[in-house]
Amino acid sequence: MATDTEVDLTPRLKTDEMLINMGPQHPATHGVLRLILTLDGEIVRHTEPILGHLHRAQEWQGQNRTWFQYQALIDRVDYLSGMFTSWAMARAAEVVDGCEVPERAEYLRVMVSEMNRITSHLLWLGTYLIDLGAMFGFPFYPFREREKLLELFEEIAGQRMMFNYIRIGGVMRNPKDAWLSKLKKFTEEFPDRVDEYEAIVTENPIFLKRTKGVGILRKELGMDYGITGPSIRASGVNIDLRRTKPYSVYPKLKFDVPVNDRDGDTFDRYIFRIREMRQSNEIIKQCLDMLPQGEISGKKQIAGLRVKAGEGFAAVESPRGTLGCYIISNGSDRAYRIKWRNPSFCNLSILPELLKNHPIADVMAIFGSIDVILPDVDR
Amino acid sequence: MRNGAEILKLGTLTITWWCIIFGAVWIACYLVGVALPMMLSSYDSDMARMTAETLKALTPILSVLVFIPINAMFMVLIERRALAIFTVRLGPNRVGPDGYLQTAADAVKLLFKEDITPHGADAFMFTLAPIVFFAPSIFGAMPLLAAVTNYHELFQIVNLPTGIFFILAASSVPVVGIVMGGWASNNKYSLVGGLRSAAQAISYEIPLVLSLVTICLLAGSLDVVQIAKQQSGGILNWNILGGGALRGLDAALALKFSNSAASLQQLSAMSPEQVIKSSYVEPTMAALGLAAGQESMATIIAVIAVLVLIGATFIAYGLYMTGACAEINRIPFDLPEAESELVSGYNTEYSGIKFAIFFLAEFTNLFIVASIAAVMFLGGGDCPVPAWLGNALGGPQLASVINQVLNPLIQIKLVDPPTLFAAIWVILKVYSIVFFAVLIRGTLPRFRIDQLMDFGWKRLIPLSLIVFLLVVFAREFVNVHVGS
Repeated sequence: MATDTEVDLTPRLKTDEMLINMGPQHPATHGVLRLILTLDGEIVRHTEPILGHLHRAQEWQGQNRTWFQYQALIDRVDYLSGMFTSWAMARAAEVVDGCEVPERAEYLRVMVSEMNRITSHLLWLGTYLIDLGAMFGFPFYPFREREKLLELFEEIAGQRMMFNYIRIGGVMRNPKDAWLSKLKKFTEEFPDRVDEYEAIVTENPIFLKRTKGVGILRKELGMDYGITGPSIRASGVNIDLRRTKPYSVYPKLKFDVPVNDRDGDTFDRYIFRIREMRQSNEIIKQCLDMLPQGEISGKKQIAGLRVKAGEGFAAVESPRGTLGCYIISNGSDRAYRIKWRNPSFCNLSILPELLKNHPIADVMAIFGSIDVILPDVDR
Repeated sequence: MRNGAEILKLGTLTITWWCIIFGAVWIACYLVGVALPMMLSSYDSDMARMTAETLKALTPILSVLVFIPINAMFMVLIERRALAIFTVRLGPNRVGPDGYLQTAADAVKLLFKEDITPHGADAFMFTLAPIVFFAPSIFGAMPLLAAVTNYHELFQIVNLPTGIFFILAASSVPVVGIVMGGWASNNKYSLVGGLRSAAQAISYEIPLVLSLVTICLLAGSLDVVQIAKQQSGGILNWNILGGGALRGLDAALALKFSNSAASLQQLSAMSPEQVIKSSYVEPTMAALGLAAGQESMATIIAVIAVLVLIGATFIAYGLYMTGACAEINRIPFDLPEAESELVSGYNTEYSGIKFAIFFLAEFTNLFIVASIAAVMFLGGGDCPVPAWLGNALGGPQLASVINQVLNPLIQIKLVDPPTLFAAIWVILKVYSIVFFAVLIRGTLPRFRIDQLMDFGWKRLIPLSLIVFLLVVFAREFVNVHVGS
């Protein structure tokens, strides 16, 4: 309040920060994230993410469903990589139960999971280009390859997205020879397709302008916030559970974990996902060659499935990062307590830091680059 | 060809729709401009004569009013189908035979949708905005009509001596509509979209206008009919290839390949070498004031000047297309309606008929900038094959066969062959440019607003000024359209 004695120093043309409410119905927020942005012109000064629009009490439901029922439900936690949520829970339950998983089942798990990693990254690639404004054209090319994998999933699991394929103790179904040969054919042609994407995107001057030097994630900051997955590997932290804390048959497989040598920007996060897809393809190829014969489940898949009393934690490397599951079982047909560690939730927490002082056009470029799945955030 | 069948379908769809659109316009123009006045002429009264004159004068307006809505519907359809092919999809193929009526159904849907004015919006401005956005595209299209119909007598009325100036003035008005709509919507996204659009239009209009000014400089005229006429006679005369600098070459080639007496007579029995000399070396020598012995030096300078002119006009064409893309808010310059940032930008709050008008105007603008490119750079209604080559390939025979087939229609004045051929070439040229814009849309991501401004002010505007200066100097040494 200016009194008579005070001098009015405000300029004639009053400028003010503008509060803009992005989402939850915004077309580009990948679902139902709400961001309250404080804008100075077009520059974002402050971001406040509002979570929980998609909260479905997945952990509570785990305590109120039998193991057998809950297995079918958890694919919905991260709908783009259902295999990994299934696998994390199955591994945690196996740690508690102490049951053996047959080797063939382990190979099948690795195979389908890496397929799932490819589908997840492919969808990310398409939607990311949409975030950058390539509304038509390129975004549909990844879907072409994704469709082939989804058909394979449909054949082996009966579902295209909510697989319910990896079960406690093993996997659900044995693949047919025809399925394996189809997958082999896919792995042979997939690298060419990735080259195709790179030819369109990686060299595109507008794409480079939009992504290089945008949203730089410092290594230390990322570690402080607990970022995992390709996003932090693109910033130079070598965390990949498949290597650093090996599980399943990963020690027997030959593959690279691409790690950046500097603080990564949006472009690095893109290029590291592309490299991961190539590696996943290599892993699938090896699994197809090494796949042994034998049982596919160490536990009988019946409605009255029980897990021995005890508690345990297991984590897998999902397309988005470390996906962990903590289980307390009292030996009954349902869990006593289940707690999830979701990579999307932890990765999203960095968003306000990354968005600071970027123009509003970069909001989606940065948000898309950390690859967040909203159901995975809210559970 | 994995998509061969789909491409074939797109081709049939395109040709069918062309027949529908241009048939409808043609028949409407014929009825109002030719048939009715002819009927009226049998009554010998002042009233009848006056009505006939008025009807003739109204034909251009009528043709545009018939043309714009159907054409926009078709362009939306072809864009969706073409994008579907680029993106390994099928596209709309359900409504009507193979999806031919999809956009007609969409238009009907939009007409019947509830027309919402948001709470707190400035209702008057909110309604005015789509009109301000759309109306200039109708005015702007008018002078082009005379150029693309080969100066048909019905369309002479819309020609202006300052045609291109008028078109550019009209095409700058829509941005007012966008700002108005963004402001009146009472929505922050719309406001940001509207303001972005104003900034973008101001920046990109400069290279656009400078590239057209370059062409006007070579043509020595602002009259679009004049500019189109100068370019007649094949691709070597088009403005995109030096703005008339290759006309001497064209004449020499015509002389070399043609044996008909008429062309020999026309060119006063000179040998091809003499033609080249008279049209290139002599003007250069005259411009530089060189003596008779310095022909080799004059030749070098003439060659350089011709090459510079070709390069400059080609770059000017690129500048025009870039500026035009930004002017009509298409990817990669669609910042005013950037979906992943601003929901839908300035038209976020619009629905129903008002949104339909915005949509209509956008596609009409695309068509108009493509038509301007066709008239200013690509020779308007001119056949790209030079006459001497066309004669060798049997062009006259083909034309006479077509004339015979169309003879009954020519008799009742339904068809005028020069206008028909001009229209066909214009359609092909304009839709090639439209198709190119669709291809761009299917390929590129979007610029960021600051990068857009950088690109406009730091790259395009200096480049367009350089091109302009180059043309100013180079045309002194070569005969271009203006000198003849």
